[in-house]
Amino acid sequence: MSSIFPIEITKPKKYELPNFKELWENKDLILLLTKRDIKVRFQQTVIGMGWIVIQPLIQMVIYYLIFSIFAKIPTNGVPYPLFFLSGFIVWQYFLQVINGCAYGLVSNVSIIIKSYFPRLALPLASILSSFIDFTVNLLLLFVFVVLSKFTFSLRYLLIPLVLLILTLFSSGVGMLFGALMVEFRDTKNLINFIMMIWMYLTPVMYPLSIVPEKFRNLFFLNPLTSIVETFHWIVLNQNTFPSSTNLLISFLIAIIIWFLGAIAFRSMENRIADVM
Amino acid sequence: MAKLAIEAENIEKTYRIRQSIDYPSQSFKDLLGNPIRKIRNKSKSSSPSTTLETFYALRGISFKIDHGESVGLIGRNGAGKSTLLKLLSRITRPSNGRILLYEKVTSLLEVGTGFNMELSGRDNIFLNGCFLGLKIKEVEKKFEKIVEFSEIGNFIDTPVKYYSSGMFVRLAFSVAAHLQPETLLLDEVLAVGDVGFFDKSMSKMKELLNSGATIIFVSHNIKAVEEICDRVIWLDHGAIKMDGPSEQVCKEYMEYCKNN
Repeated sequence: MSSIFPIEITKPKKYELPNFKELWENKDLILLLTKRDIKVRFQQTVIGMGWIVIQPLIQMVIYYLIFSIFAKIPTNGVPYPLFFLSGFIVWQYFLQVINGCAYGLVSNVSIIIKSYFPRLALPLASILSSFIDFTVNLLLLFVFVVLSKFTFSLRYLLIPLVLLILTLFSSGVGMLFGALMVEFRDTKNLINFIMMIWMYLTPVMYPLSIVPEKFRNLFFLNPLTSIVETFHWIVLNQNTFPSSTNLLISFLIAIIIWFLGAIAFRSMENRIADVM
Repeated sequence: MAKLAIEAENIEKTYRIRQSIDYPSQSFKDLLGNPIRKIRNKSKSSSPSTTLETFYALRGISFKIDHGESVGLIGRNGAGKSTLLKLLSRITRPSNGRILLYEKVTSLLEVGTGFNMELSGRDNIFLNGCFLGLKIKEVEKKFEKIVEFSEIGNFIDTPVKYYSSGMFVRLAFSVAAHLQPETLLLDEVLAVGDVGFFDKSMSKMKELLNSGATIIFVSHNIKAVEEICDRVIWLDHGAIKMDGPSEQVCKEYMEYCKNN
């Protein structure tokens, strides 16, 4: 351990990458922060972790009424609840990770100005706690798969890869927001709008097939589209794979966004104690 | 020759001070290499409404501290004591110069860093311990002692928000008191709790001080500084005015304060 000494503290470089080694050394802290996030969220609630399941269920009922019963949007013969859930758990995770990363610095300012630790531990912890939600929601989805008499195929093995892309992309976007938020408090208000628009531009509540042909390629500019579509392909047993090129492009975009986010986050963490 | 603990070479810390309150974000425009600033500057380059002034919180600070030394930092308000402590604890980075840390630095800038009101005393001991640089296993080892020292007893599993302020401080202090730091940075956090606990905490502090750790202690309490520290660095307007044996520096400082 003594090999890390002496630690040199100098003025921040223009661009710095996250120090992964240091993060690893602080894994205990990350673990405790994750526990904190989860505990605090369900403190003094009666059904506690039950809320993780109830939230998507309630949303499912609402969107089922609006899109399937009232608007009669076709879902290619798939029961709407199953269709909705298979995309919505992706969206829910995306949203949670973004919020967690975006508010990571700002909501922990009182700690940041009094103690040193790799600041990236904050978004990482929130990703971990969102991941637990995702796992619970995935189980919920499996229940619906069984209830709808669908079968589990080998396609499910693709979930970890899609999840990796999704996590990279959402935490990258989240960290960009988080860095912006330190500088401009306007970001808080902006995020809500952006996320609302983003949700409608992602085929979560409606199938991509109802989008006019000429716009579909535009839809795939949004990396989330190929992720959601891959999930649909996995769960709904539809015949056409959303195209591996699109998924690959999303992967690349996700990696680039993640690094941009991490760099922005680093440059902000060097300044946050001075700014706030 | 004694082993070095901390070395500071010509550290400088500057802040940009905004001269107008016209737009709240303008003061942050000095962000090096931030693309937003570039965009903003383009669109707002003609706006003369704000001027940025560079304020030197610290400049030309150089010193070496050996392992086991206890050094006091004194100076008037705004002299840069806290800024220096923040730089040494890596909370903020210097604008120039460099600091070398040769051993693990634990900074105690407040009591109860990272305490979460919703969580139990038990959870907070772990959280706070980790923020102070301990591993979970190390906290586990000291857990019983910490709880005993804090006199919290059965309330250890109660959310901290139901604690009295005295209980809160006692618990928080107990975590800090059970650290075994190599280098300890202390900001005036000594006086806590009721009379009984105060004595207990003072003796614990002294125990810590005598454990051979390197100590850097910031305080306005000259008496405490003289008692604890062998060496004192006197900061004035962001620069070192004097650095020497505590008795001598403290005496000069007191005289200076009387005359000014």
